[in-house]
Amino acid sequence: MGSLDSYLPIFILFVLALAFAGLSIVASKLLAPQRPTSAKEAPYECGIVPAEAPPQRFPVRFYLVAMIFVIFDIEIIFLFPWAVVYNQLGRFGLVEIIVFAASVFFSFLYLVANGALDWGPVKRVRPVASEQSRTTTSTVRRVGHGTGEAA
Amino acid sequence: MTGSTGVLGALAAHLLGAGGLVLPHLNYSTILPELILLGGMLVILAASALSPRPLPTEVYATATVGLGIASLIASLVLWRDVTSHGAFTAIARSIDVDGFAVFFLVVVSCILIVAPMFAAGYLRREGITGCEYYVLALISGSGAMFMASANDLILIFLGLEILSIPLYVLAGLDHRREASGEAAMKYFVLGAFSSAIFVYGIALTYGATGSTNLAEIGAFLSRNVITSNGVLLGGLALLLVGFAFKVAAVPFHMWTPDVYQGAPTPATGFMAAMAKAGGFAALLRVFVSTFPTLRTSWQPVVWVLAILTLVLGAVVAIVQNDVKRMLAYSSINHAGFVLLGLEAATARGIAGSLYYVFVYSLLVLGSFAVVAAVGGNGDADHDISRYRGLGRRRPVLAVGFAILLLAQAGAPFTTGFFSKFYVVEAAVAAHSYALAVIAMGSAGVAAFFYLRVVFVMFSDVGIAGASDVSRGGGEIARAGAVAAEVREQDATLLGGAGASAVATLVAPAYVAAPELAPEGTPSEPEVSVSPWVTTGLVLCVGATLVFGIWPQPLVDFAHQATLIF
Amino acid sequence: MIHAAFLIPLLPLAGFAVLAPFGRRLGNPLSGWIATVLVAASFVVTVLVFIALFRQAPAHREFTQSWFTWFAADRLNVGAGLLVDPLSMTMATFVTGVSALIHLYSIGYMKHDPQFAKFFTYLNLFVFSMLMLVLADNFVLSFFGWEGVGVCSYFLIAFWFDRADAASAGKKAMIFNRIGDAGFLLGLFLIFERTGSLQYTTVFSRLGHVGTPSLVAIALLLFLGAVGKSAQIPLFPWLADAMAGPTPVSALIHAATMVTAGVYMMCRISPVLHLAPDAGHVIAWFGVATAFIGATSACAQTDIKKVLAYSTVSQLGYMFLAAGSGAYVAAVFLMLTHAFYKALLFLGAGSVIHAMEEDQDIKNMGGLTKLMPITAVTFLLGWFSIAGVPPFSGFWSKGDVLQNAWAVSPALWAIGAVTALLTAYYMGREYFLVFLGERRWSEARPTETDPSSPGYTSRGLHPHDPTWHMSVPLVVLAALAVLGGLLNLPFRPNLDFLERWLDPVVGPYLLQTHFSAGQQWLFAVADAALAIAGVGLAASLWRRTTDRPALEPRFLYMAWFIDWAEDRFVARTGTALAYFSATVIESKVIDGAVNGVASLVRGTGGALRRLQTGYVRSYALGLVAGVVALVAYVLVRVGS
Repeated sequence: MGSLDSYLPIFILFVLALAFAGLSIVASKLLAPQRPTSAKEAPYECGIVPAEAPPQRFPVRFYLVAMIFVIFDIEIIFLFPWAVVYNQLGRFGLVEIIVFAASVFFSFLYLVANGALDWGPVKRVRPVASEQSRTTTSTVRRVGHGTGEAA
Repeated sequence: MTGSTGVLGALAAHLLGAGGLVLPHLNYSTILPELILLGGMLVILAASALSPRPLPTEVYATATVGLGIASLIASLVLWRDVTSHGAFTAIARSIDVDGFAVFFLVVVSCILIVAPMFAAGYLRREGITGCEYYVLALISGSGAMFMASANDLILIFLGLEILSIPLYVLAGLDHRREASGEAAMKYFVLGAFSSAIFVYGIALTYGATGSTNLAEIGAFLSRNVITSNGVLLGGLALLLVGFAFKVAAVPFHMWTPDVYQGAPTPATGFMAAMAKAGGFAALLRVFVSTFPTLRTSWQPVVWVLAILTLVLGAVVAIVQNDVKRMLAYSSINHAGFVLLGLEAATARGIAGSLYYVFVYSLLVLGSFAVVAAVGGNGDADHDISRYRGLGRRRPVLAVGFAILLLAQAGAPFTTGFFSKFYVVEAAVAAHSYALAVIAMGSAGVAAFFYLRVVFVMFSDVGIAGASDVSRGGGEIARAGAVAAEVREQDATLLGGAGASAVATLVAPAYVAAPELAPEGTPSEPEVSVSPWVTTGLVLCVGATLVFGIWPQPLVDFAHQATLIF
Repeated sequence: MIHAAFLIPLLPLAGFAVLAPFGRRLGNPLSGWIATVLVAASFVVTVLVFIALFRQAPAHREFTQSWFTWFAADRLNVGAGLLVDPLSMTMATFVTGVSALIHLYSIGYMKHDPQFAKFFTYLNLFVFSMLMLVLADNFVLSFFGWEGVGVCSYFLIAFWFDRADAASAGKKAMIFNRIGDAGFLLGLFLIFERTGSLQYTTVFSRLGHVGTPSLVAIALLLFLGAVGKSAQIPLFPWLADAMAGPTPVSALIHAATMVTAGVYMMCRISPVLHLAPDAGHVIAWFGVATAFIGATSACAQTDIKKVLAYSTVSQLGYMFLAAGSGAYVAAVFLMLTHAFYKALLFLGAGSVIHAMEEDQDIKNMGGLTKLMPITAVTFLLGWFSIAGVPPFSGFWSKGDVLQNAWAVSPALWAIGAVTALLTAYYMGREYFLVFLGERRWSEARPTETDPSSPGYTSRGLHPHDPTWHMSVPLVVLAALAVLGGLLNLPFRPNLDFLERWLDPVVGPYLLQTHFSAGQQWLFAVADAALAIAGVGLAASLWRRTTDRPALEPRFLYMAWFIDWAEDRFVARTGTALAYFSATVIESKVIDGAVNGVASLVRGTGGALRRLQTGYVRSYALGLVAGVVALVAYVLVRVGS
């Protein structure tokens, strides 16, 4: 496949990335002083020694925000090459990126409207009907070991 | 950061410098139906976000139906273009505008017109507000459209994902119900798995042929005689796996019963219709028009898949007491019938498959709509006992459901009869006698479990038990098989085509046979049907009957769709 | 005028089409009049067509009128069309004529029946079917009519279906006819297979290429159909039971028209019989045997209509004797005269039954002459006709048959002659018991108090002649019965009208007899002597006595136990076999196999169900297994 050499820059980029990562680790191993203490070995949490084990369940909001962030991250990544060749793309490029940005924006609008970025006390968008069948035991069973629904 | 920008810039410059940037000519009118769906979806999304108070679900439903109608009109305009000017490709040859594609655009549009009607009543009943169902349905529909009109494996993959991801979410739409979430999770995990396999198939195919464009692959294969290239065949096999997963062909079907059962019922109906439409569109196009030279290699595989799908779908459906799950298996059985047309790989076979998909879409939507209505609040109980006496309590609903079920069984004077007739006829014309016989046999078995529901609906006594009833199933199977065997011997088409008809006529006698145990006073669940659902059912049942008695327009449509291939 | 032939069957069909939906609303007697007028109109058209045909030169008396292609498949092309020739027109004329009279009679006879309109609906449908049978230009359309008359016969025998005997008699007629029809159908298949056509004219023109064994088979298969339809041995018992239907039905269907369809068919296929003389002999012997058995059985019956029924069987036997001998003209001649006098006798019996308020036992009658003069006189004329007393019509037609039988075999003649004597005798017995002697009913009634006894009536009997609807047909038919012989007097070459008329159709295939004038006179004298002897015998035996057990043996009363034997050995055996199939073969063998299949399906379903664990991991495993299998297939394929 003769067209393979067009991928050379990507390959170089890979090599560079690997080299950078490897170099960083090796350099820190070589250069950093190695005097471990228990505080240093503990998981990093804003520099404060944790008083107890970290909670098992994070608020789901963390993930939502992270996912929204990822989406915008990807949008930005698209924008980089687009900006580079903007002059060549001309009006076509403008229209396309507007379509793309609008799609993302409308989705974002939806997310915000549904309270994806609301912190603090939970504001129920949808009223939760109290289920008749829901009792303490059922809730325990629900949270406990899930029962796979077999045929 | 500047460093990396520099590298990217160099990279871009390299790419541009090498060949210059060739801007594709974008003819938006060729993807107008897709654009309508996606644009409309964004508008609905924005409206739901910006409206000060939650909009009622019917508003979204109306909008979605409107968008479906708009895309149907756009599709018909395309159809006119194609019939007058012939097929053409657009947007850097990645989009095919031909009869085949437009046929599926029409199918998808029809699904999108009917599905929201069934969803509206259900969502209101279940208290699921918001525009999500409709938005996801629209996205999924556009994905199916892309799959149908794609002329490039990459675009097919994109369409597949656009189709599938909303379906995963739809399966989990009712997140208060455990089963719904479980269904979504299963579907998602397995779907992602199959997508990966599919992409791997694309990679191998690309490796063997040097292109992902279907036309170029076809051209490459016609220039080079490749019959036993491991890479190419491996790629083909993995592509087949990806499609087979989407259309729920055995042995890649295992997600189907659980997901269909767990998902909110209108979502199940939509999923069953849309995933099959999109999946079969791409499957038929890729295999029949791109890889015809490798037919001797893939035909046996499809043959095996078809048989497994037909038999397993029918046989396992018999032992189900949950109507929703039974319909899930029956949809597997239907997939087997569509595969018959693919196995034949003739124009007739493809036309038969197209017709089948169209007919099946409306039947399955309507059937699940009734299931949703009968299922009652909570959508959890779909046991067949709930259907007892429905004929007395809701005669019109029961008769409609009976028609839909009979059509699925292949009773004459319904579209279902012709759909089975055409694919089996194609199989016989292609000398796949064994397959035709097995298909008719499975239709016979299938007739049993459809009629079982019909029987239960119109009788006020309980059934003694599944085991007693399934005993009759064997008899029907035998009747179907005998009828089909007769067909094989003389190979006269019409005589044998009545096999399923015979089975449906014979079956009631056996269905009625099991001992009937009159039960006390069973609590009879309330069944409420909103005007929306009624409208949708009238459309589905009407189409089933009208085109069952006067099949020519649809048949011509499917046939022409394959002519302009 | 010949082109108006299509109207002949169409008018009764129109009657049916009107009466079927609206008959009940048109009511009594309007619906009856509509039916009668339409059949009468059909008769008028038939006569006009007949005259038009008569005006043609004898060689050109054959017209076909094609309507449309009924169905076609490959070589098979069946059209709907009429064949107008002397034979079919003769049949059509007497069918429509007799039908019109019996329709008229029925208006009176059925006056009090709540299902009045329905009766005429069936009757019109019957006339249409019968006309299709005789006028069709091909075997299939004839078969359509053949089945049509069978169905109507079933409807009309079981007309009073709430009576158990009527319902079962209808079934019996249907079943016996089915046996014959099977033969008829096989005959059609064989004809098509051998000649490639089912059009009468085409088939007959191609007979030269068909081997004699095939022709014999065709003739005998069609004869089997005729045996069923025309009540020959062994399929005759249904006709006696068919008397459970209303009397006009017995007169029209079970005496005059439908039962003669078999004879018509034999005449129609005279070209075949001509080339297959062996088949002809079989038919002749069956015919004469039936004639004898029928006549002897009639001697011992006590039901006024059963006597006539067995008499009909016997007379039909005569017709087959004639047809089998090759004397087709004699067969048609006897058919015509028989239609007149037997219809007359039945209608007379009907008016007696009316007068006796549904009592049909001749032992309970007697002395009706003075009270019912018209009925008595016409019945007497009918008796003389059937007995063959000169110069009544039966004398001429029966003489013709017997003379031809002698030419084939004197044994046939001998049996036929004895039968003729018996005919005169049993009809005489009936006449004496019904119309002469003491009034056995008048004193029986008032003392009869048990309402369940057969002859019970609450108000006593006042027998009288019927209304004009019923007497006019009696008189007309009596005239025909007396004068019917004029149709074909054995004085050649001027007075044998029927013979010359039918010559274009059956002429070439006729049996050639060479009797001198003296021999013919001898036959005539013998016939007359037999008839008069029979009449005298009846008079001497039954004029004063009503009870002679020695002359009414159970053997004859049971019609030679043929019905009993068939019931015992065929029907019961068949039922036992069916029961055996149902209880043993079906439930053990077939159900066993089916249950095996079913449990296999169920077991498979259950086993496959177990694969559906509900765990994503096992599903993914299944998916991978599928992929592995596919890849393995690819590897094998690439490797090979």
